[in-house]
Amino acid sequence: MQFEHVTCPHCGILCDDLTIEVNESSLKPLNVDHPHCIRGFTQSSFDSVKLPSAKVDGKNVSLDEAINKAVGVLQSSSQPLINGLIADVQACRKAIALTDKIGGVVDHANGKYMRANIAVMQRMGKVKTTLAEVRNRADHVIIFGAEVLDRFPRFLDRILSPEKSLGTENTTNKTITIIDSQAQQDVSKSFDQTNINYLRLDMPNLESIIQVLQSTIQSPDKVDEAESNITKTIKSVYTKIFDSQYTTIVWNTGLLNTDTAEQTVQAITLSIKELMKEIRCVGLPLGGSKGEITANQVATWQTGIPLPVAFMSGTPVHDPVLYDGSTMLENNEADSLLWLSTYSADDVPPETTIPTIVIGHPNMGISKQTTVFIPVGVPGIDNRGLACRTDSVATLPLQKIRNSDLPVASDVLNKINEML
Amino acid sequence: MAIKLTGGEIYDPAHQVDGKQQDLYIVDGKVLHELPDNEKITETHDLNGCIVMAGAIDLHTHIGGGKVNIARTMMLEDEHAHPHHGSHICRSGNGHVVPSTFSTGYRYAEMGYTACFEPAVLPVNARQAHMEMADTPMVDKGGYVLLGNDDFLLSMMQKNVSQSAINDYVAWILDASQCIGIKVVNAGGVHAFKYNQRRLDVDESGPAGITPRDIITKLSRAVHELGVPHPLHVHASNLGIPGNFKSTLATMTAADGLPIHLTHIQFHSYGTEGDYKFSSAACEIAEAINSQPNVTADVGQIMFGQTITTSGDTMMQYFGHEHAHPKKWTVMDIECEMGCGVIPFKYRDKSFVNALQWAIGLEIFLQVNDPWRVFLTTDHPNGAPFTSYPHLIKLLMNRSFRNDAFNIIHKDAQKMSNLVSMDREYSLYEIAIMTRAASAKILGLTSQGHLGQGASANITVYRKQDDVEQMFAKPTLVFKNGTLIVKDGAVIKTVKGITHVVKPEYDMGVEKSLTKYFDDYQTISLPNFKISTDEMIECIGNEVEVHPCTPK
Ligand SMILES: [Zn+2]
Repeated sequence: MQFEHVTCPHCGILCDDLTIEVNESSLKPLNVDHPHCIRGFTQSSFDSVKLPSAKVDGKNVSLDEAINKAVGVLQSSSQPLINGLIADVQACRKAIALTDKIGGVVDHANGKYMRANIAVMQRMGKVKTTLAEVRNRADHVIIFGAEVLDRFPRFLDRILSPEKSLGTENTTNKTITIIDSQAQQDVSKSFDQTNINYLRLDMPNLESIIQVLQSTIQSPDKVDEAESNITKTIKSVYTKIFDSQYTTIVWNTGLLNTDTAEQTVQAITLSIKELMKEIRCVGLPLGGSKGEITANQVATWQTGIPLPVAFMSGTPVHDPVLYDGSTMLENNEADSLLWLSTYSADDVPPETTIPTIVIGHPNMGISKQTTVFIPVGVPGIDNRGLACRTDSVATLPLQKIRNSDLPVASDVLNKINEML
Repeated sequence: MAIKLTGGEIYDPAHQVDGKQQDLYIVDGKVLHELPDNEKITETHDLNGCIVMAGAIDLHTHIGGGKVNIARTMMLEDEHAHPHHGSHICRSGNGHVVPSTFSTGYRYAEMGYTACFEPAVLPVNARQAHMEMADTPMVDKGGYVLLGNDDFLLSMMQKNVSQSAINDYVAWILDASQCIGIKVVNAGGVHAFKYNQRRLDVDESGPAGITPRDIITKLSRAVHELGVPHPLHVHASNLGIPGNFKSTLATMTAADGLPIHLTHIQFHSYGTEGDYKFSSAACEIAEAINSQPNVTADVGQIMFGQTITTSGDTMMQYFGHEHAHPKKWTVMDIECEMGCGVIPFKYRDKSFVNALQWAIGLEIFLQVNDPWRVFLTTDHPNGAPFTSYPHLIKLLMNRSFRNDAFNIIHKDAQKMSNLVSMDREYSLYEIAIMTRAASAKILGLTSQGHLGQGASANITVYRKQDDVEQMFAKPTLVFKNGTLIVKDGAVIKTVKGITHVVKPEYDMGVEKSLTKYFDDYQTISLPNFKISTDEMIECIGNEVEVHPCTPK
């Protein structure tokens, strides 16, 4: 059977134009050719007569037994960590409800990649745009890091290279400036589109380039005096921004140095706000490839604050340093882990010696140490779901395209919650 | 099984009941005036010394959708400064200015509200708005979907399509987004801002060659002809600009005599007189409302203190960003539909402008004669958080309290306001109109906002007190569909509430041109853009009640 308009949750763009062929034992996207998009679906293929079983300490058990054991683990834990959250809105809702009840900490697997954007939003706010605005309104797009295009495989084709746009010839045939530093491999050969201007600057990293762009924007005349090739190139980018109607600046915090990402995002934000005094310029941070935008949106509306959220004091508290999920595991600050990971078999829990409950993708390889494994349906394949796109505005439905007897993650979490 | 409410003074303006002592019965979630023969009373509440009203309905409060989450993110200090403990029935939460969803539901119920309407649902963000509202318990919900800056409507108007084609699109968007009304924010202005235009007046053409007046005219006609009960809900041009009352008067006339609702009209009632070139035009605005029966308004009263403004109006939010407090601001262009701007703000009684804004709101309340056509809002959280409603009610009902408050605001603002000369004091009956009966009427909620035979048993009981602020802040009993949910101002039982929508009929042929538009330009396909009723129930988590439309 074939299903059309299928949403792909395997990167933050949430393309919803996939046609998927579903057979008894396989899933196959028919109209996309990027290996990442294809694997997103093919890796969820399984033989429906040999459904993976729930496990306790490596032994097959019934779902009820697994849930009972999970309840026991959480009840005897004094500092549980709910992590992963690679899931749809429904499962995230229940995971946060559960954390509220047991007084734990909840964070997303990609938590550390979200912090910079959130912190800058908290401190100074943002100037942002969404994908359809970029597709139709932008005549100039600056991308920091060519690797952005690998991480968001269809961004260039679907968003930046539209056949038609609501604007002019310049918005259909956008000028695309891709900027790399010496830290990135030279990929100039991979772009044959004439509207792409690939710049690999003699600078150590993207951060330093962004700093130069910011100083150019803040004092354009000053830079003129200290001419170097780099400042000349950046000045030409700056001039192009002023020659354009609607420049969009694209970045992915995953490509930035985590320690300084916040300053870098701040530099981009200040640059855009300075430009806004005269012209239109907007930001488009890309992210959300493991559902972190979804998880963070749900956390923010349910608790008033973004991830990570700690409930130990009885009310939700946000502290990205104290409650970073992966750091807590490294420092042995949690004494049990509930790992929620439903989209991909690859997103296995981090290695740990504490009792671990995995509510996971059915094809996930699970280590023997895992206390409880509950395979659940894949949202967008086995059950309907809801997901938030990278721009935090568009929300998309995930279809059910396969009949399987796997339990739904949100139901499992709800059941655990009710028994606690 | 019947619940008897005995001895209370009933305020039910929909049936001209003004404080009469009368018994009510609740059977199967409905209000009855007589006990049916076969029913047994299982519970009696002695309401002597109490005031009984229908559950209150807030017709304009920003409680869901992306902009609220942006506001929450930007107000981290406020969130942490106002933690809410959970209980065996309630979820924990945070926030005073923009509370988390569960807290929002509990606080509204604890104030006797049983329905809230989110006035700025972006079509592409409607799912999220409904998800947030599904996580807002206790109260019924509904949304107004935004049009009037979307490229699709503007291109239809450029092509001069027929009114009936526009009607079909309007009906389709209501259906696709599961909303109950249409809202327009700075018609054409948010679109113009994307082209770096920083101002757009009612009769100026935007980049699409269309004027805001054209947009208001077409949309108000569409809403009227489709028979949608709620009039076009309009956030007028030039919000916050001195002298903008002229744009507001022009916007009223753009409806050509058809129903039009002007929202947070306080922000649109400014003149340019005096030393500060900023003055009250409340008198002109109130006079215009009084003389045009097709016009309704909610006030958007400001209160002094910290809040955050969240609006679809990128153009005017960007203009106002220099006044941000703390100094931070967010502006976003959205999906060829709309935009949003989120800016924290602190209204100070010692600021001339803020003090006068406060007075202007009250002047409008006191000068609009018909309480059926002026609604009690603070445009939560833009003028103040919704939890300030009891204080606002006291300002309206108690002249000496109001004058005491007036006497401490900025002295120059006092000179520019004639508030003290207004001796009107709102009665309980009038408060019941503007917070219940009229809100239900203007939304087409026939079983709400009143206590007639067969009404939904959404009932709020207040113990009579001299201090109406105390009284309205903490009802002694609140029933939602017959279930007692609040006792002595605290939640005792949680319920979910439902979502009110309208589904006017339309020619499905409209999907042909829409499908082409989505395929050619949008980043989501049309089938995924639309929210089906079963998705609302099964995935988003809202029961839906469809209210009838009577096409004209
Ligand atoms: Zn509003």
